[in-house]
Amino acid sequence: MNLSDFVIVWQQYPAIWAGFVNTVTLLLLAGSASLVLGIVLTPMLMSKRPVIYRSIGFYCECMRCVPFLLLVYLIYFGLPSFGIQLSNWVTGFIALIIYNSAYMAIILRAAWQDIPQETVEAGKAFGLHGNRLLKRIIMPLILMRATPMIGNQMTQILKDSAFLGIIAVSELTAVMNAIQATHFIPFASFLSAVVLYWLICLVIEFFTLIFTRYAEVRRA
Amino acid sequence: MKDPIEVPNNNAFKVLQVQGISKSFGSNQVLRDVSLDLNKGEVLCLLGPSGCGKSTLLRCINWLETPDAGSIRLNSKRFGIHKGGAKMGDSDLARMRAKIGMVFQHFALWPHLSVIGNIVESPIHVQKHNKKEVHKEALALLAKVGLQDKADMYPASLSGGQKQRVGIARALAMKPDILLFDEPTSALDPMLVGEVLEVMRGLADEGATMVVVTHEMEFARQVASRIILMDSGEVVETGHPAQFFSAPQTVKAQQFLTRYHQRG
Amino acid sequence: MTTYDYWSIVQGSFATVGVSLTGVLLGVPLGLGLALLRWARIPVVRQVCYLYVSIVRSCPAVTLILLIYFGLPQFGLSLNPLAAALIALSMTAAAFSCEIWRASLIAFDQQQYDAALAFGMPAWLRVWRIVLPQAWQSSLPGLVNEMTMLIKSSPAIAVIGMVEITRAAQRVGARTYEPMPPLMFGLFLYMVIILILVRAQRRLERKAPGFGVRV
Repeated sequence: MNLSDFVIVWQQYPAIWAGFVNTVTLLLLAGSASLVLGIVLTPMLMSKRPVIYRSIGFYCECMRCVPFLLLVYLIYFGLPSFGIQLSNWVTGFIALIIYNSAYMAIILRAAWQDIPQETVEAGKAFGLHGNRLLKRIIMPLILMRATPMIGNQMTQILKDSAFLGIIAVSELTAVMNAIQATHFIPFASFLSAVVLYWLICLVIEFFTLIFTRYAEVRRA
Repeated sequence: MKDPIEVPNNNAFKVLQVQGISKSFGSNQVLRDVSLDLNKGEVLCLLGPSGCGKSTLLRCINWLETPDAGSIRLNSKRFGIHKGGAKMGDSDLARMRAKIGMVFQHFALWPHLSVIGNIVESPIHVQKHNKKEVHKEALALLAKVGLQDKADMYPASLSGGQKQRVGIARALAMKPDILLFDEPTSALDPMLVGEVLEVMRGLADEGATMVVVTHEMEFARQVASRIILMDSGEVVETGHPAQFFSAPQTVKAQQFLTRYHQRG
Repeated sequence: MTTYDYWSIVQGSFATVGVSLTGVLLGVPLGLGLALLRWARIPVVRQVCYLYVSIVRSCPAVTLILLIYFGLPQFGLSLNPLAAALIALSMTAAAFSCEIWRASLIAFDQQQYDAALAFGMPAWLRVWRIVLPQAWQSSLPGLVNEMTMLIKSSPAIAVIGMVEITRAAQRVGARTYEPMPPLMFGLFLYMVIILILVRAQRRLERKAPGFGVRV
């Protein structure tokens, strides 16, 4: 291994950029979709009707017990048996969403249980109820309280995206693997990948910090 | 001290009618067959030792707690149950609650909204009033409680007394038929109690209809038009403050006042 | 699926649990060392620890394992898959447990530590007898959670040829052309393992007296 290996890595810039963009795209799309779905699922988890909270609760607990790659395989091999043929990228994307929506719902539910009861009661006392109470009082408070945990989950989504290379999605690690196999420069390639993942995580941390500052002024 | 209000003895002036309210939490019976009436413009102070059920009674009035038995009528309209006997749904309950303004012991401001945001939230989104007018009125209310320069600040940066004054402005913004106060000064630093009581005194002088659960005896003596003393879930004595504080009629009331004077 | 198929997936679970457990057993003390180094505020070492933890925590399991298995031999270190997997998982466990230990140490009641200081206890004794037992107690739920996380990232070791539950299940499916039954069995095995860990974690969380118990 010598330093010129890194130069070779740098020369593969177009391929690496494509893989990098793919990874970031998966992160942004799957991250936002999971968060939105999590917001939809959380009131169901807190529902008073056993049918609803038990079934959603079961789904969330299942996702907590399953490794992400196994879920990917289940969807990858399972969908064709229902006659649905999707590209590998879409399969991986769906797996990310199904997996992480459950985690988001769990995170948001924990934040919900942390909110002082009086704050929500005041909403009811002033005539807010149902979806309006949720949208204007409960959800903003939950999202602000859960910001660090949501940021953490985004990091998890980024890391899980690397598993998708196993089903031939051209994300960053898979691209680097192809480069190192071609040019016999494994250390430089994978180390560069590690650094790139690290940089993306720093950006996630930066945005988490901004949202946390915004939330601090508005804390109970 | 307020003079007893002369009202004709008919229901037309009765803003609030509470009849036979009972409530248990598990095996603990907190309210036993409690009844009271409130006329427009009256200030009713609920007194009593801790755990006597006065806060629970207050919370039953706007149906934050559901009584096990009895009825609550606001301007002759029954809370919680429709004419036919069917339970009220959330939206009907919400509509009735919008006619009541409540001030909480721990302020219960919405921390993610600014001070002015807290005040205009319900008038705009529940009562569906015009945004501009609501904002104008909200600023006037803030001026009334002495906080006009805090309009765009967030509750986290206010002192306890300031938060409670915002809480009062928030309740007033609903233009409610009655105002409920749940131990409004109990969570405050002694230094800050005065500013809140001042605002409440001003409201009473303007003729607001108020139900106040409090431990502030001086305030009750000076501002209330009627005192109700509760103990163990029952109404023990009711009367005009002048008579209640100087010549209590029941033994329990005498004991209560003795304990209060000893502490003072 | 034949009995042998089931058995081959169960054998995969030995690899899953074995490698993850060893990774935790190696990584947790290492993480404690990193946390103590940062807590002791030694200048350059502190920043190096911070950098290590930050980078490894943001690194996907797959990428790290590939880096170690294919990259280290370039420096003359020849590794078999098991060794590479253990190194990767221990490094990850060390990085995550460092943060858990740090949280315990930071939340530790300073007064108790000062009391030990006032009684003339030397530094190592203060740490060993006063800080660690309580930090261990309050870290336990987080560490069990980390074990669960490691199990969930263990399928990554398949990319360097180790056969764990997911790879074993996928291989059975590829042979029998019926992918779903072995995957469901693999799912069942994971759930059993993780449910045991989650239950242990919940029990520990209930028993934990809270950080730096104020008595």
